[in-house]
Amino acid sequence: MSVQELGGWPYEGYGINLRVTKRKVFAAVALAAAASAPPLLFRGTTLLPGHLALSIAGGVCIALMAMSLNILLGYAGQISLGHGAFLGVGAFASGLLTINLYMPFFVGLLGAALVGAIFALVLGVPALRLRGLYLAITTIAFAFMMEESWFRWEPLTGGSAGLELPRPRVGAFVFFQHADYLALVLVLLVGYWLFDQNITRTKIGRAFNAIRWDERVAQGFGVPVASYKILAFVLSGALAAVAGATYGHLIGFINSESFAYKAQPNFSLLLVIIIAIGGLGSRAGVVIAAIVYALIPRFLEFLQGWELIVGAVALIDVMARHPGGIAGAVRERGTKRGERKARSEVDPVDDDDDLPKLPRLPRPMGLPARPELDAGAPLLEVEGVSVTFGGVKAVDDAAVTVRRGQIVGLIGPNGAGKTTLFNAISGFVTPDAGSARFMGTELIGRSPHIRARLGIGRTFQQIGLTKDLSVQENFLLAQHIAADYPVAKGLFLTPGAEGVERTMRGRATAAIEALGFERFTTTPVRNLSHGQQRLVELGCVLVTAPELLLLDEPSAGMAPAAVESLGERLREIRDELDRTVLLIEHHIPLVLDVCDYIYVLNFGKILAHGTTDEIARKPEVIGAYFGEEVA
Amino acid sequence: MGQTLISGLANGGVYALLAVGLVLVFKGSRVLNFAQGEMGTFGLFVAFWLITEQGLPWIVGALGAIVTASVIGLLFERIVVRNMGSAPRLTVAVATIGLLLLLFALELKIFGPSPRILEPPIAGLGLQIGGFYVSPTQILALLTAIGLGLALAAFLKRTDFGLGVLAASMDPSATRLVGIRVGRVSAFTWALAGGVSALAALLIAPTIGIFAAGFMTGLFVRGMAGALLGGLTSLPGAFVGGVAVGVIEAFVGDRFVQSTFPGIQSVAVMIVIVVVLLVRPFGLFGKASAA
Repeated sequence: MSVQELGGWPYEGYGINLRVTKRKVFAAVALAAAASAPPLLFRGTTLLPGHLALSIAGGVCIALMAMSLNILLGYAGQISLGHGAFLGVGAFASGLLTINLYMPFFVGLLGAALVGAIFALVLGVPALRLRGLYLAITTIAFAFMMEESWFRWEPLTGGSAGLELPRPRVGAFVFFQHADYLALVLVLLVGYWLFDQNITRTKIGRAFNAIRWDERVAQGFGVPVASYKILAFVLSGALAAVAGATYGHLIGFINSESFAYKAQPNFSLLLVIIIAIGGLGSRAGVVIAAIVYALIPRFLEFLQGWELIVGAVALIDVMARHPGGIAGAVRERGTKRGERKARSEVDPVDDDDDLPKLPRLPRPMGLPARPELDAGAPLLEVEGVSVTFGGVKAVDDAAVTVRRGQIVGLIGPNGAGKTTLFNAISGFVTPDAGSARFMGTELIGRSPHIRARLGIGRTFQQIGLTKDLSVQENFLLAQHIAADYPVAKGLFLTPGAEGVERTMRGRATAAIEALGFERFTTTPVRNLSHGQQRLVELGCVLVTAPELLLLDEPSAGMAPAAVESLGERLREIRDELDRTVLLIEHHIPLVLDVCDYIYVLNFGKILAHGTTDEIARKPEVIGAYFGEEVA
Repeated sequence: MGQTLISGLANGGVYALLAVGLVLVFKGSRVLNFAQGEMGTFGLFVAFWLITEQGLPWIVGALGAIVTASVIGLLFERIVVRNMGSAPRLTVAVATIGLLLLLFALELKIFGPSPRILEPPIAGLGLQIGGFYVSPTQILALLTAIGLGLALAAFLKRTDFGLGVLAASMDPSATRLVGIRVGRVSAFTWALAGGVSALAALLIAPTIGIFAAGFMTGLFVRGMAGALLGGLTSLPGAFVGGVAVGVIEAFVGDRFVQSTFPGIQSVAVMIVIVVVLLVRPFGLFGKASAA
C-alpha cells in the first residue's frame, strides 16, 4: 500500500457492497442454525429432558445478561449495581406489549430494548459526565427505586400478582417445549456474540478500552469520553432489557420481586460476580461462567445454597489477586510466554540507543480542513493564561507563541507549571483567564477531543498509551479521530465501516514498520521497555499527522545515547515531516540542540523567552537552570 | 407537620450514621464501600439471636451486634483492603461488592430467608406531639445520631489519633513519614464504619418493623445519597446530607400519603441524587476541585 493510498479513503469497499453483506448475513445465519440444531435434534429424547433444556436455557439467558453488563463493566470500566432493574424493565415492557397489546414476541423484545435504552440514557447523562463511581451510586439507587415503586405499581405491573409472560408463537406453532425455546435463545446468543464482536473490532471497543485504562489517554487521542461512556451504558441497558425479557418469557411469570435486591438470585450482584470470575472483558469467559453458574445446582447438589457464598468469596479473591479473572490469568500466562520470545529476538546490544525512524504518514481524509500556513506564521498563540489550584497560581498570565515549522522549548524547574500550561492548551484543565488560539480557532472552552481533531497531538510524562492493549491496537486507537464512520455503522460492522477500519490497519502497519516494531505488533504495551513505549507513543501521535505536537519530556527514562538519537528524530519531525513542536524537556543540551525558540517558566510565570542563542547567553537563566553543565 | 419533621429527622439521623461510615472509609482508604449497610444487617441478625432467641437484655444484644459488625469491617480491611494497597480503586470497590454479596449469602444461609421483628429498645408509645406519637426509638435514634456526630467530631479534632485519621485521609505518605501508623488508621476507620452501621440498623429496625437479609442495603442507598449531597469527603457534610435525605423523604411520603403509587420516597431519593449530580456534583460541603 503506497503512502498516497494511506492518505485517505474511500479507496475500496466503501459504500454498500452487496457481495460482502450477503456473505456476512449467510455466515450469521449458518452460525445461528448450527447453534440451534442440537436442542432441536435432541428434543424429547433422554439426552435432553425438558428440565435440562430449561436449566440450559436459563444459563443462556444469564449469559445474555452478563454479556450486556460486560460491555459496560468489562470494556468501558463503569460499574452498574442496578442491572437487575434493567432486566425487570425489559421483562415488564415485553410482557405488557405481548399480553396487553397482543404484540408478537420480537416486538416485545424491541420494545424492551427501547425502554432499557431510554432508562440508561436518562441515568447515564447525569452520572457519566463525571469521573468516578457515580454510575455505581446512581444505578444502585435506581434498582431500589424500581423495586420499591414502579415494579410495585399494580395498574402497570400487577405488583406482587405479577404478569404471566407468554411463550412466542409463529403461526400455529408455540415455543412451548423448553427445547424449542432453548433453540431460540441460542440464536439470540449468537446475535449477542456477533454484536459484541463488532464492538471489540471497531473504534467503539477501542474507545471503551482506552476509557477504562485512563480517560485522559482516551481524550488525548480524540475520544469524546462522556459520549462513549453514555453509549456503553445505553447499549448495555438495552441488551440487559432484552435479556431480561427473554428470561421472563422463559420462566413465564414475573412480579415485583423477581428482579429485586432481596430476590434469589440478586441479579444485580450476581452478574458482577459472573463477569469478575469469567474475566472482565472476556466474551467467552463471561458466557462460560454464566452457564456453569446455572448448571452447578444440577450437578453439584451439595452446593445448594452455598454457591452464592462460594461465588462471593471467589469474587473477593479474584479481585485481590487476579483482577483479570480466570480468562485474564490464562491470557497473562500466554502473553508472558510470547513476550519472552519477542524479547529474545531483540538485538540485545543497542536496541534502545539508536532510535528508529518515525512513521511518516499524510493527514487522513475526513478531518477538518486546515488553512495552509506559511513557515514562521503563528500557529498557536497563548495569551494571558492563568490556572489556579486551590489558591496556588500554577500558571500566571503566561503568553507563548509557537510559529509554524519551529521546535519551541518550554523549560523551567520542577513545579514551574510547564505541564499545567500543556494541560491548558490541550484542554485537560480549564484556565481561569486567557486565550489560546490555534490556527485562528479559540481553544479555551473546547473539550480535549475537539482540540485533538483540530490537529493538536500530545504525549504524557507517564506515557499516554493504553498499556494493556497491544501496540497495533494502540496505533488503531490513535486514529480514532480519523475513524469517521458513524457509530451505528460500527455496531453492525457495515462494509463501509470495515473499509475504514482496513485503511486504519494499513496505516497502523505502516507506522509499526517504520518504527521497525513488527515483532511487537501484538505485544501489550506494558511489556515493552520504557524507551520502546515512548517511541510507540510518539508514533501514535504522528499517525494522524497533527499540525502541532505537544511533547512532555520525551527523553525521560531514555538511555543517554538514545537521547542523542531523539534529537535527530525531533529535527526530522520538523524538517522532513513538516510539523511544529512544543517541547517540555529537562535535558538542556537536547533543548539547546534542537529548539529554535525557548520559553523559560518559573513559578507559573514566563521568566524569559528568545531564540536559543539569546536564552543560552542570559546569565540569570544559565545560573538558575542550566547549571554548570553549559557554563 | 411536626410529626413528619421529627420522624424525618429520626430516620435522617440513621441515614447520617450510614453516610458518616461511608465517608470515613472513603477518606481513610479512598474506597466506596458498598457493603456499608449490610455489615449492620449482619449485626442485626446477631442482636435478634441474642435478644429474642437467647433472652438476653436488649443492650447486650446491641453490643453483640456492634462488636460483630466492627469485626467484619476490621477483618475485611486486614485480609482484603490491605493486600490491595496499590490496586485501582475500582477493583477494591468491586471487592466490597463481593463483601456485600457474601454477607447477604451468609445471612440467608445462617438465619434463613424469613423476615424477623426486633423488639424496640424502649417500650411504650413515646412522646405526644401535636396529636401524634413519636416512638421512643425514634427519639433515641435522633439523640444517638447527634451525640455520636458530636463525639466523633471531638475525637477527630481533639485527640492525636483522631488527627492522625484526618491527616491520613489527606496525604497518607506524609502522614506515615511523621510517624503515624497509617495501616492502623485504616483498620480503625473500617471497624468504626462497621460499628456505626450496626448502630444505625439497631435504631431503625423497630421503626420499619420487619427485617430480612439485605435489609440495610436499601437504607444504605439513602445514606449514600446523603454522603453525595454532603460531598463524599466531608464528615459534617455527610451528617447534614443524611439528615436532609431523611427529612425530604418524610415530607414527600407525607405529601403523597393518599397516592396509590407505591414507594414514592425512593423516587425522591433518586431525584435528589440526579439533581446533585447535575447541579453540584461536589456536594454542598465539598470542594469543586475534588469533583
